[in-house]
Amino acid sequence: MTALEAVSVYLPPVRIPIESLAGPFGLTEMQVKLFRRFHGLREVSRDPDGSLYDLLMKAAAGLDALRGQEHRVRYVLYARAMPVVAPYPVNPLHEVCRALGLGHALAFTVTHQSCAGGLLAIDIAGRLLAADTEPGHDSQPGPLALILTGEKAFTREAQMFTDTTVFGEGAAACLVSAFGAGDRMLAYASSVRGEFDSPTGENDARLQREYRPSLAEVMHRALDEAGLTLDDIRVVLPHNVNLVTWQRMCVLLKFPRDRVVLDNIPASGHVFCADLFANYQTARERGLLRPGDRYLAAAVGAGGGATFAAMVFEH
Amino acid sequence: MAAPETGVDGEFRQRVVVVMTTVLARLLDHPEPVTEDMRLMEELGLSSTFGLELLLELEDQLLILVDVEQMDQEKMETVGDFATFVADHSRPG
Repeated sequence: MTALEAVSVYLPPVRIPIESLAGPFGLTEMQVKLFRRFHGLREVSRDPDGSLYDLLMKAAAGLDALRGQEHRVRYVLYARAMPVVAPYPVNPLHEVCRALGLGHALAFTVTHQSCAGGLLAIDIAGRLLAADTEPGHDSQPGPLALILTGEKAFTREAQMFTDTTVFGEGAAACLVSAFGAGDRMLAYASSVRGEFDSPTGENDARLQREYRPSLAEVMHRALDEAGLTLDDIRVVLPHNVNLVTWQRMCVLLKFPRDRVVLDNIPASGHVFCADLFANYQTARERGLLRPGDRYLAAAVGAGGGATFAAMVFEH
Repeated sequence: MAAPETGVDGEFRQRVVVVMTTVLARLLDHPEPVTEDMRLMEELGLSSTFGLELLLELEDQLLILVDVEQMDQEKMETVGDFATFVADHSRPG
């Protein structure tokens, strides 16, 4: 069963107040207040002097479990929201692989599910590794996959969804095994909604209406697949789109808000596909997860369509 | 016109209605006066974003804080429904 073996997160120490984005983005005073009052977004993390390579390397540098195990890494999956992040022939993913001693691994990018791509990458990594590995024949440690997430907020679209969220820079690295002893993935459910890809925005209002019910549907579907209910879930690890969305999700789900890890929204913003891992780390630091606890990760990737995704784990 | 729910301060709700209809007309650039019985989505085209902007204006003008967690757009068909919700889910700010 797919398992998270180790997680490392890098959130740059530089924080940009939401107010300072008003000028460059032409936000009204009301829009800034809306971000603060209802969306709970106060500042976002930025790494103004660092490149994408730097961001990913800083996340990987914290992954102590990778040291000495590089030879076991068979796949490197880079999950990101933006389809293109560097001009050809620059390839930050391959540069990172070489620097980490992972030049032998098959490295590829997972895109087109926006900020739900991190969950998809975990699922893909687990299935690839399972296809390579036989359980019970593990006198030798099994193969691993390294998942990387993290992006530079370098265009307007990559910095902000007007009236919805502000993106922060950061990165995460996660080692995945097929049959390991870490956080076991019990179920994954997703719903890819291509009909929300509309250049004219004709389906935007519908997406707003269906956003929370659609997310709730995949969360329940993942729970059903795991044979669990929300009552069995210790914490929810959300995507950090904004506070009000998750406050209202809690009402819809009838799930206590204090068991949704919302700590990172005010100070870091929505860090693309890395939210799940940042919130996982926060949950562990706060002692919210005990051995055997089940938790539910959920994310919506919006932009060029919408993907609703949820994954159930056992710690 | 939506009748106030039991427990809602009728006088306060009326103040909410006055501010809400004024702000809505301005926010949505509506050519005619906005009234309580107008439907938020179908007639006024109110999006959830404009809905939050409206709440901010209400909070500023009425010196209140609105508890948005309980907001259910499905149950708020008209301007009057929205005003009742605000009157019922706010506290002094």
